[in-house]
Amino acid sequence: MTGEGDGDRRTWIGHVVAAIVVLGIGASLYFASLQVHYEWRWERVPGYLVSTGGREIVAPFDGTVVLAPDGRSLTLTPLLGGETVRVEGFDRVEISDGDIVFSGNTLGREAGWSAGPLALGLWMTLKISMVSLVFALVLGLGAGLARVSSSVAARDLAALYVELIRGTPLLVQIFIMYFFIGTVLSLSAFAAGVAALAVFTGAYVAEIVRGGIEAIPRGQGEAARSLGMSAWQSMRHVVLPQALRNSSPALAGQFINLIKDSSLVSIMALTDLTKAGREVVSSTFSPFEVWFCVALLYLLLTGSLSWVVRRMERRLAHE
Amino acid sequence: MNESATPLIEVRGVEKRFGNGTRGLDAVSLSIRRGEVICIIGPSGCGKSTLLRALNALAPVTAGEVWIEGVCVHRRGVDLDRLRAKVGMVFQQFNLFPHLTALENLMLAPMKVLRQAPSIVRTRALDLLEQVGLADKAHSRPAQLSGGQQQRVAIARALCMQPDVMLFDEPTSALDPEMVGEVLEVMRALAANGMTMCVVTHEMAFARAVATRVVFMEAGRIVYEAAPPSFFDAPANERLREFLSERR
Ligand SMILES: Nc1ncnc2c1ncn2[C@@H]1O[C@H](COP(=O)(O)OP(=O)(O)O)[C@@H](O)[C@H]1O
Ligand SMILES: [Mg+2]
Repeated sequence: MTGEGDGDRRTWIGHVVAAIVVLGIGASLYFASLQVHYEWRWERVPGYLVSTGGREIVAPFDGTVVLAPDGRSLTLTPLLGGETVRVEGFDRVEISDGDIVFSGNTLGREAGWSAGPLALGLWMTLKISMVSLVFALVLGLGAGLARVSSSVAARDLAALYVELIRGTPLLVQIFIMYFFIGTVLSLSAFAAGVAALAVFTGAYVAEIVRGGIEAIPRGQGEAARSLGMSAWQSMRHVVLPQALRNSSPALAGQFINLIKDSSLVSIMALTDLTKAGREVVSSTFSPFEVWFCVALLYLLLTGSLSWVVRRMERRLAHE
Repeated sequence: MNESATPLIEVRGVEKRFGNGTRGLDAVSLSIRRGEVICIIGPSGCGKSTLLRALNALAPVTAGEVWIEGVCVHRRGVDLDRLRAKVGMVFQQFNLFPHLTALENLMLAPMKVLRQAPSIVRTRALDLLEQVGLADKAHSRPAQLSGGQQQRVAIARALCMQPDVMLFDEPTSALDPEMVGEVLEVMRALAANGMTMCVVTHEMAFARAVATRVVFMEAGRIVYEAAPPSFFDAPANERLREFLSERR
């Protein structure tokens, strides 16, 4: 009983020490920032996530404006003749009665919330990561199976793929995919990004799958074959399910890496979270807040993914 | 030649050389006829497991011929999976599929290989689990079963394919002594029902009681074979006499 209480207290002290260290580092960062006379503007950060400016309503063609008495709509008569058009939904009209406007000019605004640049970037990062994840799984599973297949050619090709990808930097692969393969096949930036990330992650998935398969005792495959199963049936129903279950922590780690690696696609014409952060910084000159915020958003993505994976693992363990 | 005269499995002069040059089998000939129970005994490393693997073409031999149900397994285009489906095998380490329940272990191969309907396979599987005394363990995973129970599930799994012949590779060697009896009991009942069997074992009492023929192997060769009474009581082989006296 005393021993247990002691252990409890020591655990608590440990947590407190860790918290003090973190606070200490935070405080020294803060005081360091005072040294460079940095002006913190945290109040602006929510605006980068959600913009409350509302939606602009623009003139569909050149015309003359006639305001309606309700102040929420107007009619526009084309300068070149034709049907008069009614434009509605204004919360604020930014034009006067009788004004002549040209196509694309701002007429007024509709109030409401819209996604700010960082939220749009977050969505792009999530989208490109998830699409790449699906392709990486398929590719990695195929290459992993090829690595252990009885066909020498398949083994060679898979080994070549894995070695080429693991031996070169992802950034260089993205350049090759975007500027060379993307141009030859006229891929969009998104398609090129997905291709680069999937090919890269697939090589690591292949190694995880191969390791998982090789860790299953030989007797499993032998028992399956002795029951009349083909090599493929034995792999599909006996070896692979066990291998994938055993390597699910490693696979989850690889997918968390994928989310982080996706920040490198920001070098292409693709506004992911990192690129959005760069754009916001260059227009606001608040680099510290923005990059902290970007880091936090990445943490949110990776953290929720590992939470989902832990829950799935617990459910599998219960079965 | 009529059907009953054709051996279920026959090996003629088989030799097995491993990649490292070890000779696992050396000119071994053996035929297993319908209804026979053959026990194979011999010192560790003499090639008993290698022989069983050759008998269901699980591992290719380097010389000689293997015939299963009148089909030569070395001929081009022979469907080995179909042949193996008729030969059941039970391993020393059980080799149950740990991600499946006992019932699923039994049902997997009949459904995937024989493409039988799940309802039919299920009925047969539950019957077999009952026969080996494990009706209440149908939904347990292998990890929740004792060694003896796992081996009985493994026997039922092989039987669920409705094989013509069953091979056993030291089925009780990995078991705690108190569990050996329950497994041997199941095998005795199987033999009494007329199942054709080939059993590698160190259980001399079992071999004497159940075998129709006992085979003694040494250094990759079959050196002696006889019916149990003369095999155990008056072996006409010096090495076998030594082997048996060491085990008394
Ligand atoms: N895969 C293998 N590679 C090399 N040698 C092997 C292999 N399998 C078995 N052997 C050798 O073949 C001989 C017979 O093995 P085995 O059939 O397992 O013996 P038993 O089952 O009678 O104990 C042994 O000397 C063993 O070391
Ligand atoms: Mg053996």
